[in-house]
Amino acid sequence: MPFAFGIDYLAVAFLGVVIGIIFGAIPGMTATMAVAVFLPLTYAYSMEMALYLLLGLYVGGISGGLVPAILINIPGTPSSVCTTFDGHPMALKGESERALKIGITSSFIGGMISLGVLAVFTPVLAGWAIKFSAVEKFLIILFAMTVIAALSRRQMLRGIWIGMVGVLISLMNQFPVNNTFRMVPKFLQSEMQSGFQLFPLLIGLFAISQMFEECETGMRAKYTKEDAYEVSRVDGFKFTRDFKGQWVNVIRSALIGTFVGILPGVGGSAASILAYSQAKSWSKHPELLGTGVPEGLIASETSNNGLTGGALVPLLSLGIPGDSTTAVLIGAFMLQGIQVGPLFISSHPTIWNTVLMAMLVCNVIMFLVMFFPIKLISKIIFIPQERLYPVVLMMCTLGAYATLNGRMFDVWGLLLFGIVGYLLKKFNFPVSCFLIGFILGRDLENYFIQAISAKSGSLAVFFTRPMSWIIWALIAVSILYAILDNRKSKRAAN
Amino acid sequence: MAELLRINVVHSTQHKIFPTITIWILVILGIIILLVEGRAKAKAGKPLFTKPKSIFVENYDKLKFWGCIALMVAYFSLLDVIGFTVTSILFVYLFNTLFGGLDRLKNKKYHLNSIIISLVSVISISLLFGTVFDITLPDGICTIWIKSLGITIF
Repeated sequence: MPFAFGIDYLAVAFLGVVIGIIFGAIPGMTATMAVAVFLPLTYAYSMEMALYLLLGLYVGGISGGLVPAILINIPGTPSSVCTTFDGHPMALKGESERALKIGITSSFIGGMISLGVLAVFTPVLAGWAIKFSAVEKFLIILFAMTVIAALSRRQMLRGIWIGMVGVLISLMNQFPVNNTFRMVPKFLQSEMQSGFQLFPLLIGLFAISQMFEECETGMRAKYTKEDAYEVSRVDGFKFTRDFKGQWVNVIRSALIGTFVGILPGVGGSAASILAYSQAKSWSKHPELLGTGVPEGLIASETSNNGLTGGALVPLLSLGIPGDSTTAVLIGAFMLQGIQVGPLFISSHPTIWNTVLMAMLVCNVIMFLVMFFPIKLISKIIFIPQERLYPVVLMMCTLGAYATLNGRMFDVWGLLLFGIVGYLLKKFNFPVSCFLIGFILGRDLENYFIQAISAKSGSLAVFFTRPMSWIIWALIAVSILYAILDNRKSKRAAN
Repeated sequence: MAELLRINVVHSTQHKIFPTITIWILVILGIIILLVEGRAKAKAGKPLFTKPKSIFVENYDKLKFWGCIALMVAYFSLLDVIGFTVTSILFVYLFNTLFGGLDRLKNKKYHLNSIIISLVSVISISLLFGTVFDITLPDGICTIWIKSLGITIF
C-alpha cells in the first residue's frame, strides 16, 4: 500500500486543519469557503500534498463550527446547527469546557467511522460503476440530481428547475465534437471556448454571495467577551462518564452522517438535523434533549464529521460530489489532470491511499489541536469579520485569475456568480442544486449524445438494459419520497 | 411510436440537441411550478400576484452593500492596469475601511491596523504565489520584472 507521508505532509495538514478551524469557528465563514480560498495554493503542489492541505481544511472547517455553536449559540458552519440545541444550554450551566470536549471527541469518532466506510465502500461502488455504459452514466447523474432536489425540503420542483439552469449554463461553450459555439455572444467567443470555469462560479456562489449578505446586514456579527460564555471547568470532561451508554447513539449518528454524505449534493446541516431527530426518537429520555445533555451534542457532532468521509465516496467512485466542499475538491483533481470516477482507484492507487491516510492524519491533528488548547481555540470567535473578508476577497481574486493561466474574464465571473448566488438565495432557490447541475451538465450531455448515437438516435436505449431499469426505479423512489415528504411537512405545518 | 422517440444525431447540428432539450424541460417545469405554487397561493386565500417586496432585509446597510459592489468593480478594473500587489494593498485597505463603518472612520488605531493588515497580507501572498510559486498574477504598470534573475514581482 504505497502512500505519500512525511514531515512536510504533516506540516501542510497541520496548516490546513488550523486554518479550517478558524474558518469554521467564525460565523459567516464556512468549510467550503476555506477549501475554495486555499485551492490556488495547490497549483504549486503535487496532488498528494494538495490532498493533505485540502482535507485538513475540510475536516478543520467542519469541526470548528462547534465552538461558537456552544459558546455563543450561533453555528459557525451550517453543519453545526443542532450543536446549539444542547451545546449552548450546557454552556449556560457552566459546563462549556465539558461540552466543547464532548463535541471535539464526537467529531473525531465520527470522522474515524466515516473513514472506515470510505475505505470499504468506495472500491465496491467503483467496481460496480465500471460496468456502466453511457446510458447508466447518464441515468446515475439524473438520479443524483433528483436526489438533491428531493432533499431540498418542499422545494423539489424549484431544485430540479434551478439544477437544469445550472446544466444550461454549463453548456454555454464551444461544443467539442463539431467545434461550434452555442449560446455564447459573439464578443465573448474567445473567452468562453471552454465555458464558465468551475472555480469562479463556486467561489462566487459560496464566498462572494456570503460577503454580500454580510454587507447587507452591516457585518455586525461581532462578538465581545460579554456575549460568549467563558470556557469554564465547573464540571470537567470525563470520557468514560460522558460517553457511557452512548455508543449506539455514536454509531447511529456517524452512519447517518456518512450516508447523508454519500447522497450527492446534500450538506452537513441535513446530516446534523437527521441525526439529532433520530437521537431524539430513540432516546430513553427524549424530553431531556434540548436542555443541555451530551446525547444531542454527540448526535450532531458525530454526524457532521461522519459526513466528511461519506461525501468523498461518490466523488471518488462516480465523479459526483457529495456536498459543496467536495465539489471544490473536484476542482483540485481537475487542476492536476486527474479524472475522478470509476477508474480512479485502479489507475491512481497511490493517490487513493493518500486520501485515506490524509483523512486519518487530519482527524488526529484536528483532535489534538482542538482538545488540549481549547481555551485558545475558543478565542477565534472574536476575530472580526471585517478584517478577514478583505483578505479572503483578495485571495479569491488571485485564485480566479490563475484558474486558466491568468484571465480577467474569470475574475469578473467571480462578481457575476456572487450576484447570481445572492439572488438565488433571496428567491428561495437551493444554490447547491444549481452548482451540481453546472458541474455535471457537460457529462450529462456527453453521455446522452454517446448513448443515443450508438443506437442511431433512438431514445429507447435508456430503457433496454436491466441495470438502467434499476436506476430508473431509484429515480422514481427519490421523486416519490420527495412528494410524500412534501405532504408530511405540509400537514405538520397546518 | 418508435419514430417519435428518435433524435437524429447529425454532426453539424448535434451541439444544439441537448441545450434544446434542457430549454424545453425548463419551460415545461417552469409552467408546472407556476401552476403548483399558484394553486397553493389560491388555496391559502392569497392573491396570485402581489407587489414584489424589496429583496433586501429591512434597514439593510446601503453603504456597505453598494459600496462593496462598487469597490469590487473598481478593484477588478484596476487590477491589470496597475498590477496585482499595489492594487490589492490599496483595496484591502479600502475594504477594511468600508467594512469598519462610519463610526470608526476617525479612529486612528483602526486605520493603522488596516494598513498593517493590507501591507502584510498582500505582500506575503503576492511574493509566495507570484514570485516563489510562479503563478501568473495580473500585471500592470507597477509590476517589476527582473529578467536577469527570472523574478517577477506583480
